[in-house]
Amino acid sequence: MSDNKVTTSQRQTLPSAIGEPMVWLTGGSLVLCLLMIILLLGMVVYNGSVSFWPRPIERVTLESGEVFLGLAMDQDVHAETLATRTLYRVGNRDIGQESFRWVDDQDIVESEYPSNAMLLEREAWGVWLGIPESIFTIDDEGNEVQIATGSDQVFEQFNKLHRDARDAGKAISKLKDQDLGKINREIESLRLEVQQSEIESHRSGDSLFRFNWGTWGFSGVLVAICVGFFIRVRHLGTEIGSIHARKGKLTRFSLIVSAFMLLGAMWIASPWGDKALDEQQLQELREQVVIREAELLSEYELKLGQIRAMEETNDRLRIVIREPTTGEFAPTSQTLSDEPLHMQQIVRAVESNQLSTADRVGVYLSRWWEYLSANPREANTEGGVFPVIVGTILLTLLLTIFVTPMGVIAALYLREYAKQGFVTSMIRIAVNNLAGVPSIVYGVFGLGFFCYTVGQYVDTGPKVSDRVNPGTWWMMYIFIGLVIVIGYAVNLWGKPDPGKLPSQFNLRMKRATWIVWFSVLVLGVLLITKTPYFHGLFEARAEDGTPTFGARGMLWASLTLALLTLPVVIVATEEAIAAVPNSMREGSYGCGASKWQTMRRIVLPGALPGILTGGILAMARGAGEVAPLMLVGAVKLNQDLPISTEAPFIHADRSFMHLGFHIYDLGFQSPDSQAARPLVWTTTLLFLAVVFALNFSAIMIRSRVRARMAGQTI
Amino acid sequence: MMSMDTDSPNSTTSSGSAQDTAQPVVRPVSYEPNRRGNEATYEVIEAIRRGETPAPTVHPEVDPSNAIINIEDFNLWYSETQAIHSVSMNISRGAVTALIGPSGCGKSTLLRSINRMNDLVEGVRVEGLIGLNGSPIYAPSVDVISLRKRLGMVFQKPNPFPMSIFENVVYPLRIDGERRKSVLEEACEKSLRAAAIWDEVKDRLKRSALGLSGGQQQRLCIARAIVADPEVLLLDEPCSALDPVATLKIEELISEISERYTVLIVTHNMQQAARVSDYTAFMYLGRLVEYGPTAKLFQTPALIETEHYVSGRFG
Repeated sequence: MSDNKVTTSQRQTLPSAIGEPMVWLTGGSLVLCLLMIILLLGMVVYNGSVSFWPRPIERVTLESGEVFLGLAMDQDVHAETLATRTLYRVGNRDIGQESFRWVDDQDIVESEYPSNAMLLEREAWGVWLGIPESIFTIDDEGNEVQIATGSDQVFEQFNKLHRDARDAGKAISKLKDQDLGKINREIESLRLEVQQSEIESHRSGDSLFRFNWGTWGFSGVLVAICVGFFIRVRHLGTEIGSIHARKGKLTRFSLIVSAFMLLGAMWIASPWGDKALDEQQLQELREQVVIREAELLSEYELKLGQIRAMEETNDRLRIVIREPTTGEFAPTSQTLSDEPLHMQQIVRAVESNQLSTADRVGVYLSRWWEYLSANPREANTEGGVFPVIVGTILLTLLLTIFVTPMGVIAALYLREYAKQGFVTSMIRIAVNNLAGVPSIVYGVFGLGFFCYTVGQYVDTGPKVSDRVNPGTWWMMYIFIGLVIVIGYAVNLWGKPDPGKLPSQFNLRMKRATWIVWFSVLVLGVLLITKTPYFHGLFEARAEDGTPTFGARGMLWASLTLALLTLPVVIVATEEAIAAVPNSMREGSYGCGASKWQTMRRIVLPGALPGILTGGILAMARGAGEVAPLMLVGAVKLNQDLPISTEAPFIHADRSFMHLGFHIYDLGFQSPDSQAARPLVWTTTLLFLAVVFALNFSAIMIRSRVRARMAGQTI
Repeated sequence: MMSMDTDSPNSTTSSGSAQDTAQPVVRPVSYEPNRRGNEATYEVIEAIRRGETPAPTVHPEVDPSNAIINIEDFNLWYSETQAIHSVSMNISRGAVTALIGPSGCGKSTLLRSINRMNDLVEGVRVEGLIGLNGSPIYAPSVDVISLRKRLGMVFQKPNPFPMSIFENVVYPLRIDGERRKSVLEEACEKSLRAAAIWDEVKDRLKRSALGLSGGQQQRLCIARAIVADPEVLLLDEPCSALDPVATLKIEELISEISERYTVLIVTHNMQQAARVSDYTAFMYLGRLVEYGPTAKLFQTPALIETEHYVSGRFG
């Protein structure tokens, strides 16, 4: 033994033990990763936040004698000649200029910053750069009355006049949206009501499908008998012997099922479900509607007249701002190029070269505020992104609300009820693989299944060719009841007696359970998809060719994303459930709790932080998805928010705008991509901020839950 | 948090040796001389080791007519392995019965068979009969949930739920759907008092139970087990995870609550069995060996094996 002994000095020291080389490798790669992330964040934050900073207006005189006003945006150097050139934003698109131009620096004779230059951000046609000349209004006779002449006076007067004109303009558009919009919607709903009644009345033979009061009463008696029997046989099956116990349970269960099936039948074929009107009633309805419509229309005209008058007054205030190259002033519109701009068409005017730093900050903040709170203008390249933010947040919240219960329930079954074995591991592998399916695949599925299949079913019910006749359908209805009872029986006999090992018969029954429950599922789907009793919830609108749920929309988009993020929730929840110690479950069972009570009161609360983690991960993943959304609901422009103060408050059928899609749209689909480029960065920054805010609030909720669990505060 | 137990004067109970008795099951039997000086022969133990099931020695003081739980010819298998061999015994009403024996002798399994906690284990099969107040508990018509509500159980390791002390105690009432605050509060106080922990926790009922010391947690679990007034209290080595002082408190508590409840306790600790129980059953390898009044079993046992086991000379 002592021969083999090696003293310390004799042992070699491996090179890998000297100086810890792995510290450098691992530390280095960490630093690299951090650098990349910091670079990414830094770039987005810098580029995103500078785009609203007001730049000085430069007056450039070229060798050719041409003079223009521009904002210097960028500079580059020619690789060989080393000549520099500058990119100017010149705006003034409505008089035919390109909004950006590159100018070689050697062509520039003179460049100065005139103090009276002004930048206008307008409702339409983008920015205008020019020198203000005058403000005037038009009196009742049509004469121009000068209010201010010369740049200095214009600057003095501008702010107050502009604010008043804008406020009046806002009030007018609010009136248009609210009052006129309300009348329009009412007329539309009246029209749909008539159409719905017509459709229902002309549906041939529908009343045959309905129970009459007699049948209904008969069914009611049957329900009462079932319930009565159930109360009578409550104590059935308490005698000794497994066959008695099982028979008792089965009897009680079949009575419950029968009662529910009868109640369901009463509801489906209820006499009051038939809304058919005869020809005379229809005529009456039409007449009522015509009268009401006439009332509404006259009200509409009245309102419109008022609005027109207000507009006319407000439009009298004009501003003349000339541009040096051609000497043209900013026109009211391209077709009315000889009329100076209305004051209220200006969103914001910036006297860039006169601003103090505080003024610049003011302009910067007001641009941010507009960006966050206004609707987009000019093919999304100007204005704000308010509907986009709302769409993104609502989508993310909805998807979290959908995915969390689904995932948690699935994980509960997998962990708590299912027998761990081959099948459960296969399901786990499949779920994990779902996480790796490309997201666009979910988009295609969402469009094909949710929008066009489920959505159309919701709108108009099953296709006519899919409907079976009522007799067949009721046969199926009774059959499914039978199969449910059979399934329960098979399940009952599939369980061994207490304290006994399962017999061959038990095992066979247990295997059969799956088949029976699966056929219940198939039958249930058939029952729903082939019913002759359901004609959709939005039949009249679908008849017009405007589907409600049968098209891309918020609901289907959030469901698609919920499906996409489901694996994340299932995996996280399963881990959290598995981490709840078994001694807790035993303790609960020992107190006489049932399996469900144990899950609800012990397992789920214990797993709640983990479940919330799953929800947060799902939210983070879902918020960042764009590809599937392009198929199932995100659109370039929809200013009708999916959420409103009118019932039903969340309009899940509407398409929506989404920040991720908005970035893509600005960057690649925009008619003026140069002008949109700074906004791409800003929108990216905003997207990051929104996702961060959502995650942060979810994490705050989780830490509060954790604190509660830890018993700090209850 | 532990201060509640450790601050009290350092009592010199010998219960600290509880863990020492947990020895490997099979080891060479050392044939020590019995008290008469003759060399002992472990006839019963030897028979059991050969796989036989000799009839247990039951002292006549055990009165079958006063039994709350009657176990008759009860066998239990974990898949293929038989863990309990034809055990028959009557647990007396209103008394404390201790189950002792070396590790793996099936005493915990027997205890957990009584509230059917073994149902949760895959592949368990039973034969024979266990009756609670005369009605068989393994009958198919028995609702295992309501059965467990009639039996309170306390586990080896304290397992308070991660909720407040109050919610822990009233858990069995909550799952029965009791919502009335006054009822819950009254029951909570009553059972916390019965479990001798009321004074320690009355000011922090709303705090998490996980902040209590081990001994307090175990007493809380006892409070939880008795809040619904069970017919029998099953204690599965309640002190094995506790320090000597906490053990002493639990033992005092068991003596107190035995005035109101029938208690069945599994223990590794001979002294504990001697101190708290009225009857003791000695089990070995799934068989009942000797069963009788504690005093008799510890002082004048019928079998030499029992005598040597309780005095620590074999086991």
